[in-house]
Amino acid sequence: MFERRTVLTAALASCLAVATGGLALAQDKAPVRIAAIAPLSGPGAFDGQLAVEGMKAMAALINDKGGVLGGRKIELITYDDKGTPEEGVSAAKRAIDQDDVDLVVGGWFSAVALSMKEVTRDRIINVMTSSQHPKVTEEGHKYLFRLNATSNMMSERYSKFICDKMGIKSIAFITVNDDYGRLEVENYRKLLGQCGIEVLGNEFYNKTDTDFTTALTKLRSLKPDAIYVSAINTSQGATIYRQIRQTGYKGTIIASAGNMNPKLVELSGKALEGVYSVSLFAPDSENPMLQQWMKQYKSMFSNEPSFIGSLGAQAVEVLAGAVDEAGSARDYDKIAAALKGHPWKTLLGEITFTDKGQAMQNIYLIQVKDGQIVSAGS
Amino acid sequence: MEFAIFLQQLANGLVNGMTYVLIATGLTLVFGVLRIINFAHGEFYMLGAYLTYYAVSLTGMDYLMAAAVATLLVAAIGVLANQFFFWPLRREHEFTILLSSLGLALLMSNGGEVLFGADPKYVSSPFADEIAEFGPVIITQQRVLILLAAAVVLAGVYLLIRYSTLGKMMRATAQNPEGAALSGVNIRWVHIYTFVIACGLAALAGALVGPTAMIFPTVGNWAVLKGFIVVVMGGLGSVTGALIGGLLLGVVESLAGGYISLGFMEAIGYAIIIAVLLWRPQGLFSTARAR
Repeated sequence: MFERRTVLTAALASCLAVATGGLALAQDKAPVRIAAIAPLSGPGAFDGQLAVEGMKAMAALINDKGGVLGGRKIELITYDDKGTPEEGVSAAKRAIDQDDVDLVVGGWFSAVALSMKEVTRDRIINVMTSSQHPKVTEEGHKYLFRLNATSNMMSERYSKFICDKMGIKSIAFITVNDDYGRLEVENYRKLLGQCGIEVLGNEFYNKTDTDFTTALTKLRSLKPDAIYVSAINTSQGATIYRQIRQTGYKGTIIASAGNMNPKLVELSGKALEGVYSVSLFAPDSENPMLQQWMKQYKSMFSNEPSFIGSLGAQAVEVLAGAVDEAGSARDYDKIAAALKGHPWKTLLGEITFTDKGQAMQNIYLIQVKDGQIVSAGS
Repeated sequence: MEFAIFLQQLANGLVNGMTYVLIATGLTLVFGVLRIINFAHGEFYMLGAYLTYYAVSLTGMDYLMAAAVATLLVAAIGVLANQFFFWPLRREHEFTILLSSLGLALLMSNGGEVLFGADPKYVSSPFADEIAEFGPVIITQQRVLILLAAAVVLAGVYLLIRYSTLGKMMRATAQNPEGAALSGVNIRWVHIYTFVIACGLAALAGALVGPTAMIFPTVGNWAVLKGFIVVVMGGLGSVTGALIGGLLLGVVESLAGGYISLGFMEAIGYAIIIAVLLWRPQGLFSTARAR
């Protein structure tokens, strides 16, 4: 009896020793944990998948080179925001309160970003990615950064091109009914109006719509020279581009800024041929970092590297750099200072962050030619 | 010109309405005959679209052939769903069955996301981009096909229920399952056939509508929602109600979207449900039945 107890105690003690030893060892090389909050189900699911894939490919590149902070790997923990503000908020809360992540990347859709930033406000470094609503950074916080150009920045660049090169006199919009879409219409009404293009009308559609013929019939009856399509998710975008042609409209189609990707081109077929857009991502750019990432991406995933994926990658890239420079994944003041401190060389070219955390990026004009997205001057 | 636009919106509405009818007929049959509220109905629509996609893209099958194959396959899957989910629960409370169908719906849509991937897909049909002009009305051949195929199939289903022995068995079961069983109706087969017809109709809708938009694994949510609006409008269990309700919803949506506001379009379905439930809870076109 006595003997058995000693054996048991000894066994227990050794177990404990192994456990604590193991813990100490794990602590040494604990990964830097980044929450990747993206729409992984619902109509935006595919875009969310592209985003997370882009982040994973960049994390793999960085981890292969030894990780950050002298050997800590980057670990991505994914959360589904379903493309809705409520789920985005709850995902961010779970990431911070339950899973105790080091950094947060999210905000693919503006509506989600706008409410998520209140959860992360002054608590944790939060990089917002593709959302374009200016208020994300205007009403941001000291730890908030946003990579995508705002719709104001995009539309200024884009409207100049539309005015100068496209030779149209009238235009009509079909836009998504959310913060982003409403702002787009407001911007272009003003900017295109200034150069004498008449805005004939606008139709808002809902995020869950699958049929747009009613709206497009209305727009076609206005006889505009061009229809501007603001579609942030690939599935709805492709449906709209096809249905524009299916309702018999033969004029120019203009694709909204930042929403062109290979899948969209594939799904839309010839409806998208010759259509212009502007983007931060020109796949035929010669930036070596971009080439490296695209190679890594293609080796890991079956999808084509996309703009949305490249933004995810850029988020991981700048965060890794800033964490290294700050010497800690938790000293948020230092990380924020590092990000704002100097220009960053990234896969999308050199960027700088303003005091409000807004990234200043290169904006390229792109066009679909023979089913490929190519740059058409910058 | 104004009149031309009106005609165009009317045509858009009729085509959309016809797909609602296809979806709702199965839903209302399953309720009317078997007293089952099937939340998984939309997932059979999703499966119909996806199987058509895979039949076309993997085997290079002709689109019409693929649509037929997908419809039959999903009808067969309907038999399995009945066998494993609905038949064993037939004596349980209606809520148990309802929750079980909700579980099946989640299982199928999430399973679809794993199996098919989250990326949207396009069911390619030779009719999708070809335009047919009827005077001022422009409509794709695919949409004409939706109208024609749906009309033919629905007429078939109606005749089947009205005149065939099976139809009589179904109606007998609807009126009184125990009485029907006592007079020799095999309830088990009625269950199976009802699911075959219902799931087949949902799949056919998916196969036909697939090429007019992109498909994604959660597209069934949309289908079942529209189906329920139509069924409530037309009266739960009423096949004629589903026909009139579906076409009406399609037309009202497109006219309201066209002349008032598009944002209004989605709300109108819900507004109709509330109004119907308040003033005519038995549905617009159904005579109240004693339970």
